[in-house]
Amino acid sequence: MSFIDSLLAGLQLVSNVEAFLALALGVAIGVIGGAIPGMSATMAVALTLPFTFSMTPITGILLLLGVYKGGIFGGSIPAILIKTPGTPASSATVLDGYPMAEKGQAGKALGMALWASCTADLISNLALIFFAGFLASFALSFGPPEFFTLILFSLTIIAGVSGDSLLRGGLSAMLGLLLATIGLDLVYGTNRFTFENPNMMGGLNFIAVLIGLFAIPEILSMVWNPASQDGVARSLGRNKVTFQEYRRSFKSIVRGSFIGVFLGSIPGIGAAPSAFLSYSEARRKSPNKENFGNGEIEGVAASEAGNNGVAGATLIPLLALGVPGDVITAIIMGAFMIHGLQPGPMMFVLNVDIIYGLFIGLIVSSIFLFFLGSVAIRGFKYVADIPRGVLFPAVLILCIYGVFAVNNNIFDVGVMFAMGGVGFVMMRYKVPAAPFLIAFILGPLLEDNFRQSMLMSGSSGWVLFRGPITWFFWTLTAITVFAIVRAGIRATRHQATGTSQP
Amino acid sequence: MEDRSIQIQLGIGAIAASVFLIAVAIPFWVSSPSNVPNVILSPLFWPNVLAALTGLIGAGLIVTSIARPRPEKPDASDVDDRPAAFTRLAIMAVIMIASVLVMPRLGLVGTAMLTFAATAFLVKTKHPRSALVCAVVIPLVLYVFFAHIAGVAVPQGDFVRLP
Repeated sequence: MSFIDSLLAGLQLVSNVEAFLALALGVAIGVIGGAIPGMSATMAVALTLPFTFSMTPITGILLLLGVYKGGIFGGSIPAILIKTPGTPASSATVLDGYPMAEKGQAGKALGMALWASCTADLISNLALIFFAGFLASFALSFGPPEFFTLILFSLTIIAGVSGDSLLRGGLSAMLGLLLATIGLDLVYGTNRFTFENPNMMGGLNFIAVLIGLFAIPEILSMVWNPASQDGVARSLGRNKVTFQEYRRSFKSIVRGSFIGVFLGSIPGIGAAPSAFLSYSEARRKSPNKENFGNGEIEGVAASEAGNNGVAGATLIPLLALGVPGDVITAIIMGAFMIHGLQPGPMMFVLNVDIIYGLFIGLIVSSIFLFFLGSVAIRGFKYVADIPRGVLFPAVLILCIYGVFAVNNNIFDVGVMFAMGGVGFVMMRYKVPAAPFLIAFILGPLLEDNFRQSMLMSGSSGWVLFRGPITWFFWTLTAITVFAIVRAGIRATRHQATGTSQP
Repeated sequence: MEDRSIQIQLGIGAIAASVFLIAVAIPFWVSSPSNVPNVILSPLFWPNVLAALTGLIGAGLIVTSIARPRPEKPDASDVDDRPAAFTRLAIMAVIMIASVLVMPRLGLVGTAMLTFAATAFLVKTKHPRSALVCAVVIPLVLYVFFAHIAGVAVPQGDFVRLP
């Protein structure tokens, strides 16, 4: 099928009111979810997922992508107005956004955040369209050994989402991999940790584990300490961003977008490092560098371009290789699976209409983001005023309904609560939840491809080194592990030196 | 809790979990056919590898914790009254367990209403009236969506039957 044919097939799939309505609704939900401190884009995507079950795959996935895009921008609103990033990705926006708000220029800062976000989002989406197909055509020649080495390399993304302790991230990943072994064995069909319970024979439900890990611990944190400290929202002021200011920041926006695209296409880096790198590059190159940190509009533009530039690019490894780029794309990968689709190179052959439908939807999402973002900026006061004592019980009810709806099974609700307890303990012990989820998703794929490789080769390990592709991924894995271990040793030495000094 | 102490506790926990998995859980709760040609293909292989890696990570956590500095003063607690916080958590656990147990009898909507109200009052909401209204309205709205739009067979319970 030619490019034009694929594009037309995609257009045919999404040219209906439901698809665009779902996209707009998703962006709106995402902006609101991202703007509420204590919620996050991840939680918003997780909670929206059960509502997509009754939709067609394209409509459901567009809804989730809208939530993702909206959530990343939404996080910048509280970052600027109340100095509380709605998502970790917006942390860099606080540096200049809040000082601008203190000067009475919140409207200008938010306007620039929106312009920069939409521009970066568009560039990121275009990068996805250009590179995903190319990468997928390369990946079509992969067999189980190649996929095994690719997934093994992808597991090193855990280093990127492990926070300040790689070992704790590793422990979290091991728990996720172990939990993924529950159910019937993939080859022999024998029981593994099922305790003769039929509910566990298919493994633990992904949505129950996901919502249990990401939403319930937030509710338990609220129960642990109900006296949440809400910031004071600054007024928007009368200043609006001008085209002159946008043009002055344009270089930083484009640079930040490309930084976002590059870092986003590497699994595990995420939006926050991209935002900080984009910010520091803008500061280094700007003639107003001394003003950065004191309310420089170019700083807001650079950080927002950096974090939104990631949003489309994280879908490149997901769609082309079937490997999630970050936690949110891991959830979206789960959504694909629930709708009977397996992201990866074969999707470009079997479901090319869905792929191009998504591309079209993503481009349109940038436009929706612009208009809905403008409304959200003005409406933030109402969102910020939702009392936590009502919001979190509502989230709990949403979780119960959502998890029950997956299989019409009360057992799944119990699994969600159990995972919520695990997630809360992990939170208290500063063990990151993201590696757990990524490992839980990638675990069965890793084991499946490993055992298929062994079956192919009569249990000879050499099959895992059978060609240039496997060697390429082994080399990448070795380099990444080496870099991670070296960074870990340096950090440990640094801490030890810190103790010996008075 | 200080970082060093967390690291040691996690390390000990990971090693204990690893030993438990290898010695008890995998031999008793993972079954394998007797005619597996190679140990690599056995259903036992993967869980054993993961359990061993968990133990190694646990050891790593303990070793690296030794290099960590001891804080001069302990971290301030994030809550003023820890016993009260633990009590609230225990009550929340009871609410969660009870909601799963009573769902077949009360139905999803009734259970959700009670769970909402109980949670809101547990966190001492400053808006009790709004909480009560939301406790009734939100489960009903979700019922309408899931039962009538998404086609989910929402359990009705033994007492009230919704349209």
